Order: sequence, then C-alpha cells, then structure tokens
Amino acid sequence: MSSPRPVQFLRRAFGPLVEPAVFNFWAREVGSTASRDRVLARVTAKRAESSRAVTLELQPNRHFVGFKAGQHVNLTVEIDGRRVTRSYSLTGVPNAEGSLSLTVQKIEGGQVSAHLFSNLQVGDVVELDAAFGEMTLPETLSAPLLFLAAGSGITPLMSLTRELAQRGMPVETTLIYWARHRADLCFLSELKALAAKEPKFRFLVALTGDAAIGTDELRGRPSSELLASAVASLSSQSVYACGPAGFVEQVETLVAPIARSFQSEAFTPPTFTPAASSQTVTLMLAKSNRVVTVRSGEPLLAALEAQGIKPPSGCRMGICNTCACGKREGLSRNLKNGGENAEPEANLRICVSSAQSDLTLDL
Amino acid sequence: MNTPDRKLTPAEIDAFGAELDALRARTVAKLGAEDAKYIRNIVRTVRYTEVAGRALLMAGIFPPAWILGTITLGVSKIIENMELGHNVMHAQYDWMNDPELNGQTYEWDTACTADHWRQTHNYEHHTYTNVMGKDHDIGYGVLRLFPEQKWEPRFLANPIMALLLMTLFQHLLALQSLQLEKLLSGEKTFAEVKEQAKPILKKMRKQIAKDYLLFPALAGPFFPIVFAGNVGANLIRNFWSSAIIFCGHFTEDAEVFPLESLENESRGHWYLRQLKGSSNLEGNKLMHIMSGNLSHQIEHHLFPDVPGRRYAEMSVEVREICKRYGQHYNSKPFFKQLGEVAGRILRHALPSKPSSDKPSSKKPKLVSKKASPVVREEELLAA
Ligand SMILES: Cc1cc2nc3c(=O)[nH]c(=O)nc-3n(C[C@H](O)[C@H](O)[C@H](O)COP(=O)(O)OP(=O)(O)OC[C@H]3O[C@@H](n4cnc5c(N)ncnc54)[C@H](O)[C@@H]3O)c2cc1C
Ligand code: FES
Repeated sequence: MSSPRPVQFLRRAFGPLVEPAVFNFWAREVGSTASRDRVLARVTAKRAESSRAVTLELQPNRHFVGFKAGQHVNLTVEIDGRRVTRSYSLTGVPNAEGSLSLTVQKIEGGQVSAHLFSNLQVGDVVELDAAFGEMTLPETLSAPLLFLAAGSGITPLMSLTRELAQRGMPVETTLIYWARHRADLCFLSELKALAAKEPKFRFLVALTGDAAIGTDELRGRPSSELLASAVASLSSQSVYACGPAGFVEQVETLVAPIARSFQSEAFTPPTFTPAASSQTVTLMLAKSNRVVTVRSGEPLLAALEAQGIKPPSGCRMGICNTCACGKREGLSRNLKNGGENAEPEANLRICVSSAQSDLTLDL
Repeated sequence: MNTPDRKLTPAEIDAFGAELDALRARTVAKLGAEDAKYIRNIVRTVRYTEVAGRALLMAGIFPPAWILGTITLGVSKIIENMELGHNVMHAQYDWMNDPELNGQTYEWDTACTADHWRQTHNYEHHTYTNVMGKDHDIGYGVLRLFPEQKWEPRFLANPIMALLLMTLFQHLLALQSLQLEKLLSGEKTFAEVKEQAKPILKKMRKQIAKDYLLFPALAGPFFPIVFAGNVGANLIRNFWSSAIIFCGHFTEDAEVFPLESLENESRGHWYLRQLKGSSNLEGNKLMHIMSGNLSHQIEHHLFPDVPGRRYAEMSVEVREICKRYGQHYNSKPFFKQLGEVAGRILRHALPSKPSSDKPSSKKPKLVSKKASPVVREEELLAA
C-alpha cells in the first residue's frame, strides 16, 4: 500500500530532520501505527476460532513487505513491561488491503499465547518482523498434495489450503487434521464447506481423545493403517506436515521414505537441555558469520577472547554494559546469580554469562 | 566527618557485599509494568516539554513567553539527559527489550556522543570510582579537589575553571574522553587527538546546528530571540547537571583511593569503595526526578543498572545495612553538599596536604588481601 503523494513528499522533505525515536513517539501518541523503521500492526478484529484458539486480524504499517501463503511472522507484545517474541503462522492469503490474520492456540501456562488469547484487544498494536518460512507452494503443481496437521499446526496448512482454493484447486488435495477433542478444531465450517464445494479437496478429521463420528472422522494418532485408509497411494503424494515436534517426527518416519516429497515444520519451541558443565557447546556468531565451540559454563567473553575474538569489553564484572550483545537463541546463564534464560535477549552481558546450550549471538 | 568507619574484617566485607547483592536481586525481581510505565511517562514529559518550550520561544518576542520557553526547554533537556538518557545508557531498562530504550543504542540530546559516554562514564568512572589515576571524573583533568592530587600552578585558576566547566558543561563533557590535558604533558600527540575528535566534533556540530541554527532560523526575523532562548536553556541544563554531578563525588566526606586499592579488590570492597566515594542529596520527589535520581548517588553507584526510580526504596535498606556495619552513609541536603563542593574548589586551588586524620589520606582502611577478589572470569569459571 503506498501513501498519498503529499504524505510521501513530507516524508522525504522533513523525515531526515526528525530522529526516528521522536517520530515514532509522536506517531504512537496520536494513535498511529506509522513508524520510521519498525513493522507495527494494529489488531482490527479478534474472534474465537475454537474453544481455546482465537483468530487475530492485523493491519500492518508500510514496513511490512508481504508474505507467501505458508509463511510465519515473529510477533512481539509487551507483557508486564517486557517485550516477548513468538512465531505465528499467517493463516490467510496475501490480499490487496495488506491485512494479515493469524490464529493462536492457548497453551496451558504459556506466556504469549495466553496474553494474545485473553488480554489483547482490538485496537492494540503489536510489532512484527518480516515473514519467513520455506513451506510454500510452487508456481506449478502436478502431484497430488497431502497435508498433515496437528493442533495449532493447522495454521500454515490452512493458509496453503486457502491459496489452493483461490487457484481453483489445481491438484487433488487431502487434509488430515489431528486434535485431541472436537472442540479444539479450528476453521471447521470453512474446511467442510470447501470440501463440499471442491471435488478435488478432501478433508478428514482425526481425533485422539473423542470418539470419531461419521465417515470424515478418523480416530487415533498417525499410523500406517490410518494413512492407508485415508489416501490410496502415498508414494504419489507431495506431503506437507506441521504440528508439535513429536507429531512431526512421527509422521516423518512414517511418510518420508515412501512419499514423493516431504516437507515439515515443527512448532514446539526447542527445549534447551542444559549442557553438563565442561561439555562443549557451539556459538553461532551471526554478524561475523562464524562458528566457535566453547565450554559450557565458561564466561563467554573470556571464552571468545581465548579464541582470538575480541568483543568490546570494559569492567569485566557485569556493571558497565560495554560487552552486551544480542542473544538470538539458546539457553544462557547469569554467572552472578545463577539465573538461566531461554528467551532471546537484546543485551546479554557476555562477561558474566555462560552458554548452557548452543547459542546464537549478534557478534 | 562523622564517626569514622568501623574497620571490617574480610569476612564482614564479604557479608556486606552479599547483603547488597541480595538487595539488588530482590529489586530486580520486582521490575515490571510499573517501571515500564514510569519511564514511558518520562519520555512523554521530555517530548511534550521540548515542543512546549520551543513553541513558546517562537513567541519569545513577548518576554514572559521567552522566559517560560527558555525554562521549559532547559527542564526538558535536563530530564532527557539525566532521568532518561543517563539512566537508559546504564542499561537500566534493557530488561524491557525495547529498542528505543536500549542502553547500547540510545543517543541523547547533548554534545557528548553516547559511545564516548559509555566508555568514560559507564566503564571508567563506574568501575574505578574515585581511584586516583583511573577515574578521570576526579576534577576532569582541570580541577584540583582533593589534597591527594598533585598541586600545580594551573590549579590557582580552580574557581574560574569550575565556573567555565559548569558553563560549557555539555561541550567539555563531550571533549572529556580526549583527555586534552595529556597534550600539555606530552602524553598525546596533536594528530592522535585530531583523529579521536572526529565523531565528537560531528555530534557537537549537530547539536549546535539544531539549537543555534535550525530552530532560530525557523523563527525567521526572530532568529536572535530563539537563539538566545536556546543559549539560556542549555545554560540552565549545564549548570544544574554539573552541580548535581559535582555533589555526587566531591563533597567534604567523599574519599579518593590510591591505585593500589584495586589490587585483589573483592566485590565487597568494590561496594565499599562506591559507598565511600559517593554522596547523596536529600530532597523531594521533584528533586530526585530532576537529578535523574543521582540524588541517590550512593545507590546509583552500588547498582548502576537498576532503574533509578527504585533507588529511593533501596536507600532505606542500604542505609540500614551501612548502619549495621558501622559505615558512614553520606547524605545531606543539596545546598549543604554544594557548599562543601565549593569549599573544596577554593581550598585546593592552593597547595594543600592530606591531613593525617582525614580518612582519604590513608591507604583506605578497607584494603585487605584476604577477602575473595572481585568476581572476575577466573572465579566464575571455577563456580
Ligand atoms: C514457525 C512457528 C510457527 C508457529 N505458528 C503458530 C501458530 O500459528 N499458532 C500457534 O498457536 N502457535 C504457533 N507457534 C507456537 C508459538 O510460537 C508459541 O510457541 C506458542 O504460542 C507458545 O508460546 P507461549 O509464550 O504461550 O508459551 P511459553 O511461555 O513459551 O511456554 C509455556 C510452556 O508450553 C510449552 N509449549 C510452548 N509451545 C508449545 C506448543 N506449540 N505446543 C505444546 N507446548 C508448547 C513450553 O515448552 C513451555 O513448557 C509457532 C511456532 C513456530 C516455531
Ligand atoms: S564488560 Fe562491563 S558489563 Fe561486561
């Protein structure tokens, strides 16, 4: 979406004179999602999608550069003063208004999903990053498609299904959607309606908790028998699978050796098993594109210096913040108080932190 | 000086440090929505007062508008520099993960570049507080405030230099990291200084262009009026912030330490040195906000990365801990401390010697070789 001419003119003429932080402040103050440098999006609608999932409609500002069906975005919200980021799949297809939708399933004890489910209101503003993800559809399709979804893993496959519907269902497509209970299922009426309208689209529900009713419902976890009862020839199918890590692993062993192709995405966040001390872990230095191995438990600054890498440093005791650098992922430990943190951090003081798992640092 | 500090055993020094560590941990665990809301309100105050101040100056042809505009802009700059910029650059709000309040990228509205500040202030001054030869903030290389500093004839100009320093505080602070006095002593060459000065001069030019060209020019024929208002606002900010900062470490009871005090310094020692080198200013809430909570200089030096708004509540416990360990807690009203600073500036313009009963003259009593050394990497590794 491009802005009107006068706005563009003003932006070019006066933009550089105003500091981004000042511009962003006044934009927020007048209730706008405009920003000099950040992707902000307003929640324009919120509705229940199942007993424990909500769908959010978002209108991002001009910094959002678009997405392909099947991709995800990192979404940031502020909870108790802290900004926290999680990934969510876009469930819609790219449209002229540039609006986005995503569906969030509430996880028991989950920080962000519970906040989005219960606290986030229409009108609130969230921050996004650029869309990412490889599980998209090719321009030309020839082989039949088999989509295997479990739980909130339905979201990117819903987006792909909607894209196929828009393209007129070019190939035979089967979607099997696992959930524990019927009340957990999202997009049910839309998927059923599509199956009724499109002869090339088949939709099957598989329940692991409730009993199955009718012919389009199956019962039980993924198994060779269950898959054989649903699709005639697995070897001809291009398979896309999405869901919790356990589910994805399971279908991969069942399907990948047989199917024509197999692509998957797992949603469960990686659990960082603390490395036993004196074990080695890998540091990915994202900015310099280097990989080094260090001992877990060792202060990162000293460990990097021992390898000839010299990050900026000052006090070496955790007070001056000179050594702080971004941690993108991994489990770090604060050596001053023993606290561990699995969240990404903007400023990790590496002089008093150690790696408890593999880490990715902005160095 | 009040009753002299009790000499602590190494075990007591460790215990003293552990109590302060525990206080820090308790406070950090409480940080949340309230602190985030507070600092956002500070940002809001800065932005609105800046606009109000600049708008009033545009109408500065009417004297009341000029006076009010100058004061408002001065106040805006003070809050931005002290409660917002200084504290954010100490990483006090990094836990929020907000890119606009990030300690490593925040750039403040003053001539000194944030990067140089992070080096000279966050690292050098806060790590080596009041250590002779390490903390350049002891007199900024131009003032003699402690008898331990070697007297030279140039210090006869102490009072004039102090006034000059206060008047031009933002620009002199910007030049501080160049340590120009080293040119005189020949420790630095002119070419070195010229190279180091590049980013500093760039930021200075930017500040000067903004305050003394851009905004006055926007006023068209009233250029001189707006120009004068900006001069006034910068002077208000310079005088106030330098006064607050001088009161933090140059009061009568503030101590300086010899270089040897750093040898084998334990965490507890480090805390004690911060306590003895700093002084608090008593006042009301407005005073605390306007000083960026540096009125709680002691707490700021003990816990530089804890949000300033928490210092008031922490100070109750710090004072109590100090009392139990028999350590002097230097806290007096602003004007009292300011008077003491002025006294030092005048007294040490002339040659002076550390008198034997002054604690600062001795090797600090707190030096003790047995307490565990500061938590540095070797120890962390062993932990
Ligand atoms: C690429 C990608 C796309 C994603 N798309 C979606 C989406 O479209 N919709 C959606 O609802 N979620 C999606 N997720 C999951 C989402 O990012 C969060 O992990 C989820 O919302 C939980 O976050 P939380 O802060 O609520 O839980 P946390 O506070 O992080 O975790 C609380 C507890 O729940 C466990 N847990 C976390 N996530 C899951 C999970 N998915 N299943 C089971 N247990 C979990 C954690 O291990 C932890 O013990 C996606 C994840 C990825 C990596
Ligand atoms: S070097 Fe000072 S905080 Fe790490």
